[in-house]
Amino acid sequence: MKTSISSLEQARAAKVRAKEVFPRLVDVAGIGITRLDQGYAVKVNLERQPSPEVSLPGELDGVPIHIEITGGAHKI
Amino acid sequence: MELDSVRELKASLTQAVVVPVATRAASLCYSVAAQPFRNALPDFQTFHRSLALGVARRKKNDFTLAVRIQQRLLENSSEVERIRKRARGEVDVRYIGKVGKCAIPWYRQRQRPLRIGCSVGHFNITAGTLGCFVTNLAENDRSFLFLSNNHVLANENRAKKGDAILQPGVADQGTDPSDLVGSLERFVRLQKDSSNRIDAAVALIRRGFDPEPMIKGIGKISGLVADPAEGKLVSKVGRTTGPTEGRISAFEVDDVVVGYDMGNLKFDNVVEIEGAKDEPFAQGGDSGSLVVNEDLQAVALVFATSDVGGKNGKGLTYTNPLGPVLDKLEVRLVY
Repeated sequence: MKTSISSLEQARAAKVRAKEVFPRLVDVAGIGITRLDQGYAVKVNLERQPSPEVSLPGELDGVPIHIEITGGAHKI
Repeated sequence: MELDSVRELKASLTQAVVVPVATRAASLCYSVAAQPFRNALPDFQTFHRSLALGVARRKKNDFTLAVRIQQRLLENSSEVERIRKRARGEVDVRYIGKVGKCAIPWYRQRQRPLRIGCSVGHFNITAGTLGCFVTNLAENDRSFLFLSNNHVLANENRAKKGDAILQPGVADQGTDPSDLVGSLERFVRLQKDSSNRIDAAVALIRRGFDPEPMIKGIGKISGLVADPAEGKLVSKVGRTTGPTEGRISAFEVDDVVVGYDMGNLKFDNVVEIEGAKDEPFAQGGDSGSLVVNEDLQAVALVFATSDVGGKNGKGLTYTNPLGPVLDKLEVRLVY
C-alpha cells in the first residue's frame, strides 16, 4: 500500500496495530506517535538493533513507521 | 633548566619575593569602608592575590619557572623583573587575575523563595527537581504545594504523609531541619503489576516559605497546554543540567519500561523529548522538572531517560503530560 500523509487518528489506529505486530518480532522499548512535516507517523523504539534476518514493516495501513534504537529506560 | 633547579629557584624566590609582596597586598585590604564586621570578616581572614610560582615543562626534560600574576599592578613590577633576572630569563610569565572555585549553580543551592527548577527531595533520597507550584482545588484552601515525582518526594511509595522534604536535597547538602521546606502531602502510587501513567507527588510548603512561580532564565508560565502534541520546541530547568532546550519527538508513547529501585515499571501515554542541541535534555537529578513550550505553557513533568537515541545521540527524556498529573493529584497549577 502506498504511504501517504496520515492524520492523527490514522496514526492512532496504526499504533494499536503496531502494538500487536512489533512485540512479536523485536524487543520493543515503547510505541508512540511522532509528528512529521506533514502528517503523523508511528514511532517504534527498540531496546537493541534487530537481527538482520528480522524484517520490520515500514508502514502499517498506510501510516509510516519510524524506528529508533533507544536502549532501556531508567528513572532519573 | 632541570627540574630540581627550577624547584630550588621556586623555593628561594617564594621567600625572597612572593611572601613580601603578599604581605604588602594584605596590608592594603585593612582599609575598608564602615560596614558590619560580619560582612567584612572574610577580607581580614583570607589570603590576598599577588604572585604565584610553579613549574612549567618546555620540552621532555627541560623545565622553566612559571610565574602567575594575580594583580594587574604587579605585571610590570620590580618583583617580576627580579624573578626574571634570577631565572636568567627562563620564565613563563602570565597574568591570570582572580582565580575562583567552580561556582555551584543556583539550582543546586538553597533557594528562598522556593524556585521552579531547584534541587529538592525527600529526606531519604539524593535529590530531584522542584517542578512547579500548585494549590488544592478547594477555593478556600490557600495553602501552596509543589509538584515533583513520586520517586523524588515519596521515595517510590516508601514515604508517608508528613515526611520531611528538603530544599536543597541531601545530595546538595540539604539537611533537616535547616532545609526543611515542606512535607509530603500525597502521591500517585507506582504500580508494579499494571501500567502506570504518572510518577508524581506533591509536598505542602511550610509556613514562611514563599513560592516564586517565575522560571528563572525562561520566564513566567502562561498556563497549561491543551495538547502536548502541539508545538514541538520545549525547555526546562533541572537540578542537574539547569536550563536545556528540547524537541518533542513522540507523544502518546505506550509500553515504556522504566527501571526503578522497586523493579521495572511500565508506563503509558508518555511524551518523549530529545535534546535540541548537543546535550541531553535531562539527566539524573532532573526528575520532576517542568517542561514548557515556546509559549511558556506547562507541558509535562520529567521522570526518566533512555540509554541512547535522539538526533544528537544523547538519549531521550520521558515525561508525563501535566494535565493528567494535575487531575490525578487534584491540584491546580499556580502561574
